[in-house]
Amino acid sequence: MSDTATPPYGLTQESAEADRAALARTWANAKGLLGWLSVTTHQAIGRRYIVTAFVFLLLGGIEALMMRIQLAKPENTFLAPARYNQIFTMHGTTMMFLFAVPVMEGMAVYLVPIMVGTRNVAFPRLNNFGYWMYLFGGIFLYVMALTGAAPDAGWFSYVPLAGPQFSTGKGVDTWAQMITFTEISALCVAVEIIVTVLRMRAPGMSLNRLPLYVWSMLIQAFMVVFAMPAVMIASTVMLLNDRTIGTHFVNPWEGGDPLLYQHVFWFFGHPEVYIIFVPALGFISAILEANSRRSIFGYSAVVLSQVATGFIAFGLWVHHMFATGLPQIGEAYFTAASMMIAVTSGVQIFCWLATMWTGRLRMTAAIHFVFGFIFIFVLGGLTGVMLSSVPLDLQSHDTYFVVAHFHYVLIGGALFPLFGAFHHWFSKITGRMIDEALGKLSFWLLFIGFNVTFFPMHILGLNGMTRRIYTYSADLGWGSANLIATAGAFLIALGGIVFIVNALTSMRGPVNAGEDPWDASTLEWAVPSPPPNYNFVYPPVVSSLTPLWTDPALRTVVTGLRTDRREVLVTGVTEAEPQFRYILPGSSIWPFLAAAGIMIGFCGSVFAFSWYFVASVLGGIGFVGWFWPRRPVEVAP
Amino acid sequence: MTSARTLDVSDLPPYEISNRAPLWWGQLFMAIIEGCLFCMLLAMYFYARLSVDVWPPPGVPPLKTLMPTLALIPLILSAGGSYIASEGAKKANRRLMLQGLCANIALAAVFLILRFIEWRTFNFSWQSDIHGTFVWSILFLHTFDVIADLLMTAVLIVLLAVGRYGPKQRAGVHVDSVLWYFLVLIWFPLYVAIYWGPHLMRAQ
Amino acid sequence: MNNVIVSGLLLWIAPGAFGPQSALDPAANSARIIAGLMRDFTILLGIIFLIVIGVAVASLMRRHRGIEQEPLERAHLPSPETENRTGRIVGAASVLTTVILLALIAISASAGKAISDRAIPANALTIEVTGNQWWWYVRYLNDDASQIIVTANEIHVPVGRPVMIRGTSQDVIHSFWIPDLSGKRDLIPSRITTEWFQAERPGRFRGQCAEFCGLQHAHMAVWVVAEDEASFEAWRRAQLQDAVEPATPSQQVGQQVFLSTACAMCHSIRGTSAHGQVAPDLTHLASRITIAAGTLPNNRGNLAGWISDPQTIKPGNHMATIPLRSDQLQPLLDYLEILR
Repeated sequence: MSDTATPPYGLTQESAEADRAALARTWANAKGLLGWLSVTTHQAIGRRYIVTAFVFLLLGGIEALMMRIQLAKPENTFLAPARYNQIFTMHGTTMMFLFAVPVMEGMAVYLVPIMVGTRNVAFPRLNNFGYWMYLFGGIFLYVMALTGAAPDAGWFSYVPLAGPQFSTGKGVDTWAQMITFTEISALCVAVEIIVTVLRMRAPGMSLNRLPLYVWSMLIQAFMVVFAMPAVMIASTVMLLNDRTIGTHFVNPWEGGDPLLYQHVFWFFGHPEVYIIFVPALGFISAILEANSRRSIFGYSAVVLSQVATGFIAFGLWVHHMFATGLPQIGEAYFTAASMMIAVTSGVQIFCWLATMWTGRLRMTAAIHFVFGFIFIFVLGGLTGVMLSSVPLDLQSHDTYFVVAHFHYVLIGGALFPLFGAFHHWFSKITGRMIDEALGKLSFWLLFIGFNVTFFPMHILGLNGMTRRIYTYSADLGWGSANLIATAGAFLIALGGIVFIVNALTSMRGPVNAGEDPWDASTLEWAVPSPPPNYNFVYPPVVSSLTPLWTDPALRTVVTGLRTDRREVLVTGVTEAEPQFRYILPGSSIWPFLAAAGIMIGFCGSVFAFSWYFVASVLGGIGFVGWFWPRRPVEVAP
Repeated sequence: MTSARTLDVSDLPPYEISNRAPLWWGQLFMAIIEGCLFCMLLAMYFYARLSVDVWPPPGVPPLKTLMPTLALIPLILSAGGSYIASEGAKKANRRLMLQGLCANIALAAVFLILRFIEWRTFNFSWQSDIHGTFVWSILFLHTFDVIADLLMTAVLIVLLAVGRYGPKQRAGVHVDSVLWYFLVLIWFPLYVAIYWGPHLMRAQ
Repeated sequence: MNNVIVSGLLLWIAPGAFGPQSALDPAANSARIIAGLMRDFTILLGIIFLIVIGVAVASLMRRHRGIEQEPLERAHLPSPETENRTGRIVGAASVLTTVILLALIAISASAGKAISDRAIPANALTIEVTGNQWWWYVRYLNDDASQIIVTANEIHVPVGRPVMIRGTSQDVIHSFWIPDLSGKRDLIPSRITTEWFQAERPGRFRGQCAEFCGLQHAHMAVWVVAEDEASFEAWRRAQLQDAVEPATPSQQVGQQVFLSTACAMCHSIRGTSAHGQVAPDLTHLASRITIAAGTLPNNRGNLAGWISDPQTIKPGNHMATIPLRSDQLQPLLDYLEILR
C-alpha cells in the first residue's frame, strides 16, 4: 500500500512514478495568499484547526491562571469583580467552544480520511468554509472582549442575569453570536465526517472493520448534528432576540420561563461534553492498539458502548437542574440515566484494561497520557456518579466540588488523551519524531500539577466554597487549599510550556520518522510522514480490522482513479463495495468569501437585527460563486 | 512494500445522480439539522403553552385557519414540481428540469403570497407576549428557509436556461428537491401546532 | 464520625475543615442524611477507583513478563482461551458495575425521599426567602397577619422543629444554601421553590448564594441561627415589635438623618415613616450578626464604613453613596445601634 519500493502487481515502476507525479500536480494547493485562503485539502485544514485551537487553549489557560492568582488568598485585589466575572466567562467559553470541540474536529479532519483510505473529506470547500467560520467566531469574541464588550454572565449565560434587564452592553450578545459561528463550523465538520465515513471508505472496509477512532468520530458527528441546533436556539433565537428585538422567550415578567432556557441549553450542553469526550475515547483505542501490539479487546463491546453513550448522553440534561425544584419523578429518571452512562464508559475502560493486561505495552509518552486518562477520568467519572444523586448534588451543585468534577472528566477524559494523540501522531503530521523524554516530563508535570490544582477543590466545595466568586473572606478557612490549587495551576502551565518547547524543537529535527514508527495497525500509517495531499497513490483495499498487520502479499490496492482531476471512490454504506467515482473540487476562494460575508452580517447582528439580511445577501453571493459552474461542465468518463 | 494485487475501478461511472451520491447525503443531513431546530421550537412552544391556562393570551384571538389551510395547496403542489425536476435531473432531461423548477418556484411564490397576506391580519407582534414570540419565530424561520431555497432554485433555473449546466448542476437540481420536501413536510406539524393547537387544547 | 476521619485525613489541605459553612458538619436532618450518603458513596466508589487503578498499574508491571507471555507478534491476538477468559472477566466486571450502580440509585432515591418536601412533618415554620441582587428578603409567614415578621439576611429557627423555606427571586436566579443544614434550592423569578430542614443542634450557620447572580455574587451571604425554643420565641417576639424609639438627642438627630436623606427611600424601619421596599428592612438591624448580607461583622466601625462608602466594600451593589457629614453620621450610628 505504500508507494515506495515495488509498485503494485501489473504496474511498472515508470507508470507508478508517473501516477505519483500527476497526483502531486493535481492535488497541489494553489500558491500565494489567495492560494492559502483557498485551500481545500484536509491535511492543511486539519492542521489549521489544531494550531488555532491550541492558541485558544493558551488564551484560556492564561485566563485560568489569572483566576487562580486572584483566588490564591482571601480578599485579594488582583482582579476587580467585574473583570473577574469577565475572565471566568471567557475562560469557560474559550475552552468549551473555541478549544475543545474545534481541536477534536481538527484531529478528525486530519485523520479520518486517511484512516478510511480515501483522499479528502466528502465536501472539501465546506471544510474550508467551516474553518473560517470558526476562526472568525473566535476573533470576533476576543476583539469584542478586548474592546469593552466581554461577556460576563458565565459560559452558559443563564437568564434573567444574561437578559436585557440585567446585562447591559454588548458582551452577552457577542457571546451568543460567537456560538453561532462555532456551531456552524462544528456542523460542517460533522456532516463531512458522516458522509466521508459512510460513503467514501476503502473497498472492503465494512462497518465491522472500521477503526475504533473512526467509530468515535462517526458517533460524535451524529451527536453534533442532533445537539448543536439546540444551542443555536438557546443562544441566538432565545437569548439574543430577547435582548435585541424584544421577544419574550425567557422573560419571566412577560410569560417566558428562565427554566426553558436552562432546558434548551443543557439539552445541548450535556451532549456537548460527550462530543468533546467521545473522540478522546477514540484516541485511547488508537494509541493503545499501536502500543500494546494487539488489537483492542472487545471491539464490538467498545463500539456498542460508545453508541449507547451517544444515545444516553441526550437523556441526562436535567441533572444540571436538580436544584431548581423540578418534580421528583423526573429527577429520579435523570439520576438513573446519569448513573447508567457510567456503565457504558466502564465497559470501555474494562476493555482497555484487558488490552493492556494481555498485550505487550510499550511505554511511549503517548501511553503515559493514556494512564493519566485512566486515573483522572475514572476519578472524575466517580464524582460524576455522586453528582447524579439528587441529594448529593443539592450540596455539591454550583460549588467547587462540581468545578473539580468537570475538570477531572474534561481534562482527564479529553485533554490527556489529546496530548497522547499529539505525541502519537506528531510523527505522521510533521514527519519528525517528537522527543519521548520531554514528552514524559511534560506528562508528569501536567499530571501532578493537575491533581494538586483540582483535588483540593472537592474539599473546598463540600466546605462551602461556591463557584464564580471573585473572593472570599479569611475566616472561612478556604485560604490554604486555594493557595495549593494556585500552585498546581502554575505546575500545569510549566507542563504546557515543556510540551510546546518539545513540539517546537522536535520540528527542527530531520524528516525521518518514516511511515510507521509505531508498527501500528491502521491505514494512516501506510502513507508517508507527512502525507502528500492525495494520501495514497493507489488507495488500499481492506480485508481486516487491522490492515497493516495483515500479510503484505495478500494486500490489494485500487487502480483506475484518474490522476488529472481530484477523484475518489464512493463505496457502499455497510460493506464498502465500490459503487462509483466522485470528483472533488480543487482550491476555491469562495468558501472564504462566503464566510467573510456571513461574518460581517453576524457581527452586525449583535447591534441590529437587520444585519442578518446583510449576512444572507453576502453569504448568498458567496454561495452562488461557490456553486457557479466552471467550464468545462461536462465530465469525461 | 511488496507486490500487491489491484482492483481496477476505471470502468465505474465518474458520478451518480441518485440518493447514493455524497451531495444528496449532505443535503439530507442539512435537512436533519434544520429539522432538529424546528422540533426544538415545537417542543418549546408546547412547554410555553402548557405553563399557562389561557392560550392565546387574553386579547389575542385564536389564529384564523382559512388562509394557512388554503396555502397548503400550492405548497403541496410545489413539491410535485420539485419531483418532476429531480426526475429530469436523473434522466438528464433539461426540459423536465426547467418545467419542474419553474412550477416549483411559481407555486412556492403563491404560497408565500398567501402567507404574507395572512400576516397582515395578525394583530400581535413578537414583542406582544409569549404567544406572539413563538408564532412569529416559527413562521419567520420557516419562511426564511423557504425564500433561501427559492433563491437557490432561481439560480438553478438561470443556469439551465442559459445552458450552462453539467452533471454537477443536475445533481444540484436533484438535491434541491430534498430540501424542498423537507420544508413542505416540516410545515405540517408546525401548522397543526400553531393554527389548530389552540382549538384542540382549549380545555386546558 | 466517618466524616471527621475523612476530613481529618485531609486536614492538611483544608485546615479550616469545619468552617461555619460546611456540608461535612451537618446540624440538621437534611444535611446529616446527605453527609451520610456522601460517606457511603465515597467509600464504595473509592474502592472501585483503587481496583481500577490497581489493575492498570499491574498491567504496567506485567509488560516485561518473559517466557509465559504469549507470542503476539504474528497474529497480534492472544490465544482464544485467553480471550475467552478475559471476556468473562470483563463481562463480570460490567455486570458488577451495573449492580453497584443500581444499588447506588436505590440508596440515593431513599435519601431523596427522606429529605423531599413530601416528608415534611405537619408543624413546619414557613419562611419566605426572596433573593435580590445582593441580599435576602426574609418573611416569616403566618395565618395571623399580626404575626408576620419581615427581616433581611439573617434567619432564626427553632431547634427540633421543621422549617419550610419558600423561595423566589425579585430579579435574577439566586440559590439559597446553608450547607450545615440542607442542600440548596434555586430562587427563580416568577416561580416558587421549596425545601425544608429540621435543625438538630443550636449554632450559627453561614450560607451563601450559590447561583451566579452578577457583580457581587461573592458577597451575598446569609446567617441562620438555630436556637432552643425559648430563645427562638424571645427573638420572634422582639422582631414583631416596631422599632425602638430614639431616647437621647443624638439618637433623635440620627433618626432625622435617616428619614430625611435617601436612606428612607430604599429601606424601611417599622414604626417610622421609612417604608422603602427595595433594600433590607432595618427595624432590628442591631440584632444582626453581620451587615451587607454577611459581608462585614455588625459593629459601629463597619457600619460607618459601609454607610459612607458602600461601593468600595461591595463594588457595584445597588446602595447609593450618600455623602454625610460627621455630625450626621455619628448620630445616625447612635440611632442605628438602638434598633435591636
